[in-house]
Amino acid sequence: MAARFEYRQAQEIAAAFKKHGVRYLFIGKSGAILLGFPDTTQDADLFVEKTPENGRAIASALLELGFPLTPEHRQEIERGKDFVQLRYGPFDLDLVFAPDGIETFAEAEKRALVVEGMPVCHIDDIIRSKEATGRVKDLESLPRLRAFRDWWAKQRGGVIQLPLDRSPHLQ
Amino acid sequence: MLPKKERTLQEEEPFTEWIRDFEAAARRSVEERMRYAFIRTYKPVLDDEPYRSFDTMADYRRWCEETLPSWLGYGRSL
Repeated sequence: MAARFEYRQAQEIAAAFKKHGVRYLFIGKSGAILLGFPDTTQDADLFVEKTPENGRAIASALLELGFPLTPEHRQEIERGKDFVQLRYGPFDLDLVFAPDGIETFAEAEKRALVVEGMPVCHIDDIIRSKEATGRVKDLESLPRLRAFRDWWAKQRGGVIQLPLDRSPHLQ
Repeated sequence: MLPKKERTLQEEEPFTEWIRDFEAAARRSVEERMRYAFIRTYKPVLDDEPYRSFDTMADYRRWCEETLPSWLGYGRSL
């Protein structure tokens, strides 16, 4: 079992993915936590664009981060599955190529925010994806997430589309 | 059923507590928030394989429903 995910590792993802030109966004509860949502979670979820080019970049970045991808796993990531769960690296990581409730990566990327160099899905997209899964654990977290969304928007003067890297409040 | 005034106070209490949590989190650095947020516990079945992949999210959801213990919350009902 990998150690718990840390800030340092999130920064390592950001650096390696930037180096290899990976198009990705933190999503799920890990994304909400980066935006300031106080809660607990176990692993990092990344929404990654599903293209062969991005798949190749992801595989290269993961190898650099210490994930021992086999040739078969590398091929699958390059080909683009909808969901890949990695439990054999320096930390646990879920790659989501087609999250429920979000139409395309490009649309989510337009609304995305950047927190200390880490691109994160907009809180509305995180909520939409959790609403769409219908899973018990997601439905249970939704009331608090929605309350956070409203509070978060209020802190930003009601403006919720302003990218975080342009907002001094939650840097 | 609770009187209206009492009911409102009881319903508002968790929300007020959440706001206090949000404000407290906003005062912490991202690094500190992550230190409190990421935990590690063993999840049966889910953590037993080093690598899994699914062609579609529907396949993944079905696998969760059929394979994981319901109390983990990955299904649509407990």
